[in-house]
Amino acid sequence: MRNRTTRRDFLAKAGISTAAAQLVWNLPSLTSAAATSRATKQRLVFVFSPNGIVPKQFWPETLGEEFELKRILQPLEKFKSQMMTLHGVCNQLQGDGDGHMRGIGCLLTGIELFPGDIQGGSDTPAGWSTGISIDQHLKNHLQADPATQTRFGSLEFGVMVPERADTWTRWSYAGPNQPIAPIDNPYKMFEKLYGKSKNRRLLVSVLDGLAEDFRKVEAVVSAEDRHLLSKHLQMIREVERDLQADLLAEEKTSSELGHAIPKLPANILKENDNIPQITRMQMDLLVNSFAADFTRIATFQITNSVGQPRMRWLEIEEGHHGLSHEPDTNEEAYEKLIKINTWYCEQVAYLAKRLDETPEPGGEGSMLDHTTIVWTNELGKGNSHTRNNIPFVLVGGGLGFKMGQSLDFGKVPHNRLLLSITQAMGFPEKTFGNPEFCTDGPLTGLV
Amino acid sequence: MPEALPTARRLTIFAAIVACFGLSMGTARGAELSLHGKAIYEKQCAMCHGENGVGVEDYFPDPLRGDLSISNLAEMIADTMPEDDPEACLGKDSLAVATYLHETFYRKPLPKSLRPQRVSLARLTKTQLRQSLADLYAYQGNTIPLAHAQGLKAMYFDGSKHKDGNLRIERVDAVLDFDFGHKGPGKKIDPQDFFIQWQGAIQADSTGPHEIVIRSSCAFVCYFGSYQRQFIDNHVQSGARTEFRRSLVLTAGRIYPLRIDFFQRKRKTEQPPAKISLSWKPPRGVEQIIPSRNLLKVEAPAAFSLQTHLPPDDRSYGYERGISVDRQWDESTTEAALEFAQVAADELWPLHQQKNRNKADRDRAQLRLFLSEIIATAFRGPLDEHDQKTYVDDPVDATEDDLEAILRSLLLTLKSPRFLYPGLDTDRSSSQRAASRLALTLFDSLPTDTWLFLQARGGELAEETQIRAAAERMLDDHRARNKVRELFHGWLNIENQIEITKNEEHFKDFNAELLADLRFSLETFIEEIVWSKSSDYRQLFLADWTLTTDRLANFYGDTWLPKAANTRGLQPSAGDPGKRFGVLTHPYLMSRMAYHTNTSPIHRGVFLTRYLLGRMLRPPQEAFAPIAAELHPDLTTRQRVVLQTGGRNCQVCHKRINGLGLTLENFDAVGRYRIVEREHPVDASGSYTTRDRKQIDFAGPEDLAELLAYGEDAHRTFIQRAFHHLVKQPVAAYGPDTMTYLLASFEQSNYNLRELFVEIAVIAASDSQKRVSNEQGDSDEK
Repeated sequence: MRNRTTRRDFLAKAGISTAAAQLVWNLPSLTSAAATSRATKQRLVFVFSPNGIVPKQFWPETLGEEFELKRILQPLEKFKSQMMTLHGVCNQLQGDGDGHMRGIGCLLTGIELFPGDIQGGSDTPAGWSTGISIDQHLKNHLQADPATQTRFGSLEFGVMVPERADTWTRWSYAGPNQPIAPIDNPYKMFEKLYGKSKNRRLLVSVLDGLAEDFRKVEAVVSAEDRHLLSKHLQMIREVERDLQADLLAEEKTSSELGHAIPKLPANILKENDNIPQITRMQMDLLVNSFAADFTRIATFQITNSVGQPRMRWLEIEEGHHGLSHEPDTNEEAYEKLIKINTWYCEQVAYLAKRLDETPEPGGEGSMLDHTTIVWTNELGKGNSHTRNNIPFVLVGGGLGFKMGQSLDFGKVPHNRLLLSITQAMGFPEKTFGNPEFCTDGPLTGLV
Repeated sequence: MPEALPTARRLTIFAAIVACFGLSMGTARGAELSLHGKAIYEKQCAMCHGENGVGVEDYFPDPLRGDLSISNLAEMIADTMPEDDPEACLGKDSLAVATYLHETFYRKPLPKSLRPQRVSLARLTKTQLRQSLADLYAYQGNTIPLAHAQGLKAMYFDGSKHKDGNLRIERVDAVLDFDFGHKGPGKKIDPQDFFIQWQGAIQADSTGPHEIVIRSSCAFVCYFGSYQRQFIDNHVQSGARTEFRRSLVLTAGRIYPLRIDFFQRKRKTEQPPAKISLSWKPPRGVEQIIPSRNLLKVEAPAAFSLQTHLPPDDRSYGYERGISVDRQWDESTTEAALEFAQVAADELWPLHQQKNRNKADRDRAQLRLFLSEIIATAFRGPLDEHDQKTYVDDPVDATEDDLEAILRSLLLTLKSPRFLYPGLDTDRSSSQRAASRLALTLFDSLPTDTWLFLQARGGELAEETQIRAAAERMLDDHRARNKVRELFHGWLNIENQIEITKNEEHFKDFNAELLADLRFSLETFIEEIVWSKSSDYRQLFLADWTLTTDRLANFYGDTWLPKAANTRGLQPSAGDPGKRFGVLTHPYLMSRMAYHTNTSPIHRGVFLTRYLLGRMLRPPQEAFAPIAAELHPDLTTRQRVVLQTGGRNCQVCHKRINGLGLTLENFDAVGRYRIVEREHPVDASGSYTTRDRKQIDFAGPEDLAELLAYGEDAHRTFIQRAFHHLVKQPVAAYGPDTMTYLLASFEQSNYNLRELFVEIAVIAASDSQKRVSNEQGDSDEK
């Protein structure tokens, strides 16, 4: 069996404290759910960075296990044995939309865009994707089975995604014409993950002040009116008592589960210069969500297709997309693009490191052993807008692939990689996305 | 003191019928009788009614008070009492008990402990909490001047951008329901490349979840609640997706900014024809294109509508009162407070920062200022040192995270008794108290309007004339208009929109659309009367015109044709003297109070007795199904009703019910005027015995309309309802003669409704006891 649910996982999912669990433990439906599932968790996170890469400083020249890491991939050095590069995987989808639009819109969906009215730099205008994306496809499968169901099923993280819903800013789709907006505000993500618990704490923190307030006003009303106020105050005291008990139980459960509610730095605004900090905050929340088993599927979208972050922290003033159009002969731009992509790789390495440092809750090894990061991009190369050789770098053991190797598939449609991924997650499919690109089945040589 | 008694639920049996004649008797004989009556009362009645008629919790808890004459009371006792053996107290005995009751407590005010006579402390009701939070969001005092709904402002541009030079059409669109096809919206506009912006506001009629539905073949972005808040983002036209729905809870009477940017973009590929419509599905309503009466072309400030569900309030006194607290309510106020605090952190705080970006911000001074402004608004007055520390400084100093500080501070504020109990205002200045009470009375909300805020702060609401002027001004506000609208809904018992279906064979074309027109006609008719210059209550019953539409004229005939030819929408009809009497005979009410095919004089009679004349009725002893018309094909409705309710027990109440209800027999089951029923001429005669025991006979609806227009019973009832609805406290709580005073001033003003509302607001808002002196020596507890 693929999945195993430990007692602690089960407690977390059911949202009950150990104390409460003692009481419900004898219910047959609960005991059987906890006792019969025996498999490890598999997690998957897709990380997006935009505008293509610099192939010469990205792809290893040596294939197989003896591959070398070029400049851009250097930050992953520590994870060399746990990573895989896949050259020759191409996004071959045609139809409406410019290169960037089809690049991002077909990346996880493997299917064309609808005709529409969004005009890119070239080609015909287009709308949203005509199909579901692989992350949502997997979420639906996992959520359909009580053994793999989680609180959210999937989480969609973003970093500095423009406040504009269009083909260039969305890559995850719940279905045809159903783009999913990523949450790019860490405080909003925190609210989604821990809002209820946070609010309970807030309430406890203000109840004392409230009681004092009641005593103050009670003094100035008639005896008849005081009755209502006393009743109200008494109720507040009861609420306080119950909340304290809840919080105690909650703390006990979360310490038993090995994860505490993370603490975010305060007052970080959505601004270009805060990209590094926001990325960290979001990644920390992602790791926490995995540890708490809030989800097993995530997407992590850094900016957007045609994204224009200005990486001043790397002393680069120009926007990324603008630079990506410069010819290879522009040495200055070329160097900057290498730096930019290296920075993206550092983020992936940070995520890998956080997962690697965290022991797998209720399992063996680290969380990285049970998670695969799929780092990708909408283009193979920025100035040509090619969707051949889409950057695919995999880190971690979630999919059970044979890591520590560099592969080249020549020129295969990326739908086949999507098929490999769904198969590795335990849901083999004949096709995913446009069936025309699936005739040869999943890629071989990955396992 | 019937106005001091609970009205809706508690029906005092002894008040169930009305006297026709007083009984005269010698004093000595009276005393003897009374003594005899006392003995019987103590033996047979006190067990259930308690000593001195105070009531007994387990048997008959309501105090034994009423307005029947001795003879009528005696008649009822003989007929119905004691309940387990009505034969045990007859004739002289019943007269003796009635005499005893009359001479002792029956007509007297209740003992103080039993009288809901004081202004009791109450928490905000759910409506008040919802409305208060909506105004707290607008703590900066932005309000919308009263405006007539008529549609949205529209700007049509050539080219798919908002570019001044390309503006081709500027107009008001009454509704949004367009099919421009491939031809485009007008001259000099490229049909393949254009942009339309609709801007204005939506006003909600009711509180609850509204589903907004936009159908569009092109790209559009809809902003709702604020011109910056994206509500539906269809910036991308994609495939064949054309329907977009989203629900949210709106608050009755509130105005929400709305903007739709609509793009037909030129493209290399095939273009769909351009179409757009804006619909909604209001709570309990059907989906419809949002009518122009809910669309305003005004520029509206950003608005907040609470999404949290709040549990219903106590209505045992016939109107909502915040007189109890429980866990469910407490949890809902926590949720509401958090919802508001989150929106304040997300929207109001950045606005404050933006506005004050050049000002000093040492030690988070701006955050403190922001919070104190909101909290002072919530607490209806400035913060003292202690408040500043508890509500602002402590939460801010507790965390370096601004957003958390806002949540903490506002959660504490909105859970505080200072916010939840508006009556805790003894430490406020009299002007501040007046402002806050006026806002609560007329808006169910907080005093946030800039002018009101300034007057309260400047001590300019201390005098009655100042309060009166403020109340008059406040009536010209959407919030007051909405509250008054709801008053009339309650008075006419049409708060709930119910489905009304009729026999299709008899009443072809009586359908949902017709019904919607009827309701709209009735509601607008009331508004026209109330907000007209004379604001004459009597016209509600005497007006011989109504408001009509083409559909209504088609169904109800020529007397429903608009007065002016060639007009569209809802229009005044010509008069129909002798056959139309304002709300009384309005087909919306007549159809509601009728069966599928036949009228229901009993429903109509009960409505008239309870709602318009304020008399108490006990519920029927058991449930009766009406006699089916088919069983007596020769009988008229009147004859059938008389047949069914002729029993002695029934007549106790039905004498009154039928006397009123049968007067409307000229109006059939859909409210069409008729003079013949089943080949018999309609007999619309009836009668009514007033509270002061005068019998009035009616020849037909005209006499009834006059009774309602001029009679004191109807005035008293309306005033009491208005008072309860606006103030949510008993009338007598403001002094035992308050009702007498209001009745007199209503008469003096020629029954001016506006002035009545102002008068009520002034009473509720004033500290001074300008009203008639308090004979019982009650002190105002407040």
